[in-house]
Amino acid sequence: MSRTGPRSLTLLAAVTAGVLLLAACGGTGTKTTASGTDGGKPVQGGSLTYATDTEPISFDIHVSQQDATGAIQRNVFDSLVHQDAKGDFQPWLATSWDIAPDFTSYTFHLRPGVKFTDGTPFDANAVKVNFDRIVAKDTKSQYAASLLGPYTGSQVIDAQTVKVSFSKPFAPFLQAASTAYLGFYSPKAIAENGTKLGQGGPVDVGTGPFIFSSYTKGQSAVFTRNPDYDWAPKDAAHQGPAYLDKLTVRFLTEDSVRVGALQSGQVQVADPIPPADVKSVQGDSRLRTVSTQAPGANYALVLNTTKTPLNDPLVRQAVQRGIDVDTDVKSVYFGVNQRAWSPLSPTTPDYDKSLENSWPYDPALANKDLDQAGWTGRDAQGYRTKDGQRLTLEWPLPPAEYVREQRDTLGQAIQADLKKVGIEVTRPRQDIGTYIANTYGGKEAIADYSWARFDPDVLRLYFNSASSPATGGENATFYQDSQLDTWTNTGEATLDAATRQDVYGKTQQRAIDLGLIVPLYVRTDVVGATSQVHGLTADPNTWLNFHDAWLAK
Amino acid sequence: MTLRHLARAVLRRLLGALAVLFGAATIAFVALHLVPGDPVTVMLGPGSPATPEVKAQIRAQYGLDQPVFAQYLHYLGRLLHGDLGESYQLQRPVADVIGEQLGSTVQLALAAVLVAVVLAVLGALATAGRRRLPRALVGLAELLAVSSPSYWIGILLLTAFSFQLRIFPVAGDEGLPALVLPALTLALPLAGVLGQVLREGLEAALGQPFVLTARSRGLGEGAVLLRHALRHAAVPAVTLAGWLTGSLLGGAVLVETVFGRPGIGALSLQGTTNKDMPLVIGLVLLSALVFVLISTVVDLLYLVIDPRLRSG
Repeated sequence: MSRTGPRSLTLLAAVTAGVLLLAACGGTGTKTTASGTDGGKPVQGGSLTYATDTEPISFDIHVSQQDATGAIQRNVFDSLVHQDAKGDFQPWLATSWDIAPDFTSYTFHLRPGVKFTDGTPFDANAVKVNFDRIVAKDTKSQYAASLLGPYTGSQVIDAQTVKVSFSKPFAPFLQAASTAYLGFYSPKAIAENGTKLGQGGPVDVGTGPFIFSSYTKGQSAVFTRNPDYDWAPKDAAHQGPAYLDKLTVRFLTEDSVRVGALQSGQVQVADPIPPADVKSVQGDSRLRTVSTQAPGANYALVLNTTKTPLNDPLVRQAVQRGIDVDTDVKSVYFGVNQRAWSPLSPTTPDYDKSLENSWPYDPALANKDLDQAGWTGRDAQGYRTKDGQRLTLEWPLPPAEYVREQRDTLGQAIQADLKKVGIEVTRPRQDIGTYIANTYGGKEAIADYSWARFDPDVLRLYFNSASSPATGGENATFYQDSQLDTWTNTGEATLDAATRQDVYGKTQQRAIDLGLIVPLYVRTDVVGATSQVHGLTADPNTWLNFHDAWLAK
Repeated sequence: MTLRHLARAVLRRLLGALAVLFGAATIAFVALHLVPGDPVTVMLGPGSPATPEVKAQIRAQYGLDQPVFAQYLHYLGRLLHGDLGESYQLQRPVADVIGEQLGSTVQLALAAVLVAVVLAVLGALATAGRRRLPRALVGLAELLAVSSPSYWIGILLLTAFSFQLRIFPVAGDEGLPALVLPALTLALPLAGVLGQVLREGLEAALGQPFVLTARSRGLGEGAVLLRHALRHAAVPAVTLAGWLTGSLLGGAVLVETVFGRPGIGALSLQGTTNKDMPLVIGLVLLSALVFVLISTVVDLLYLVIDPRLRSG
């Protein structure tokens, strides 16, 4: 679902790059430089306007499942721990923590002196109030509750110590605790405005570097500096309050308008820059771009293995090898998004690099597979047949508002490729109700989605047989495989790096070998900024961090 | 027109308005329930990680687990109390959300209507019954304005006047300068249609005997157009203008999206995309109300324009 879409179960950590603004760099690679060093000494003050394409439906971090909510509210809400660019966990609102050997409880020692912007102190009680709110039935959390997993409760040991307990081992908790979705509202705000936090504006009180000062629906959200902020993670470019006096987020959903606003200097940062405009932004000497590859599951075709004809592994392999992914991705995305080889994106921990170039475009092999599978006849339109039936795969299109990143155009190229080997792909446009019911109900041959997540556990969401769409999972392959189950369950229950690398590597290999999935592209988030903007970094989620950003005079 | 006549007319209008609102509310309710799929799943979007328990909780809170007819009665009951309910997604009373966004759209719509009427009247007066070339040019401009999607007009205006010339800010509801481009975007197609109708009306009127009489009394061409022909041509144009004003909401959806302006249009888009039933129904009721109001205003304008209609 990528940017706007829901985010899945978050799990353990690892590597990625906190990427800096680079001076007009070409290409799509990510480059890391020491933050805060570009352009000299940081300047205090100034007002920065940031244009983005998605307006959150709800600003409540404990309720919303949107990427946009987490990305914007990260400026207002801090977490217990911070996941650094290498994927390690660093102190943040907690200075240290003790993990029970069986991962059933975590005791956090909280940083003294932290307070919410309404003056309420941040303490063990605040942690308890927030976590209890997330799992409360009335909160109707669409995402954060899943991050707390088998949470049973928090125990206030003293003002600066809190013990968070789970009913069974829960290794992924530190990574979950580092996300904005498990950030902390002031307990006073929860008590007074608990049902209104989704509205945004001053009711949303956190401990972060910015204060949510106003929100005009359909237009903008305005944030002002928290002058008391003094608890940034250690690896932040600077300690103390943010440099900017004011941060305005403008919602400009039209690509051409967002880019035009940046090029004419009416906004200082625009995110994302659509692939077709990247060249022109990079060619403008007054602008810079920064590119970050999204973590998690790449955009891919997910093949339904329970229905004819995709229940035949040969047909699945034919689909995999009969699509010219390289050419299709390059022509639709102007070289900005790279083609994908694994279910995971290269910036995700435990990405298996050995899959690269391991299943190239091979129409001859696809034809051979199909012959072998008995699809030897041809009808008048040139499509293959078996027993008088045409080889047809139905891959429905949701309504236009759910189609992002020109995936429908990419789909046309895929249709054309598969036609060459005799496979018909039909793309009926379905209303969203029908689409969800059919695709997640296993009635369609092909589903397509991506899943932004800085953790390889997304593989469990995709391939574990317990992760069925009926229960909020994403396994639209509907494949039941004891090995995939074992590996993804093992990865979920350990923090051991070697074990995780082993099981997640095997999972990626097997998913490709079995033809469960056809990875298509790695989304690259390209942010444009005027040359006045310095110190702007993106975190592993591709979210921008404005705490270290400053504007040259 | 006697007082009794007036009272009866007003009463009839009120009853008519209520019937329209009731009809709109019912149709909106039925239409939203005809959307296939489970409403909560649709609301949360494809691939939501929400568990079945969370979905059940949402369903129960909004009464979606009740029989449809019970929901309908409950809903009508609330409407009678003036309660539009609470938006599923925004966690706020629908009336508040609409109230906040309404001003921005009203401002935009009024500005657009004003600009459209001025442009149409000027264009029609300048060209009715005149030489071929100017008439053809203005006609062409009107045709272009009518046939171009307002989305495209908006992007063009933005590119020229905001991104290149930097006269107007890109968007937002931030004072008069930010209103100019969106209002113009919305006004141009409107002006195109109105201009065409008005000119035809003017030209038809110019062929009428009363124009000959006026001219024979020595009136200049300008005075003939303004004092006699315009009034004649105004009735169909006013009818059309009323209808077009009512339909501005549709145009506002695109214009507000392109320009990043708050407003009812943007809200409608969000409401329908997220299947936010209370919000959508609230907006449908609002637009029904607007149509009723506008048609009343149009009827009154007839009386002003054409004295013959006043008897009675």
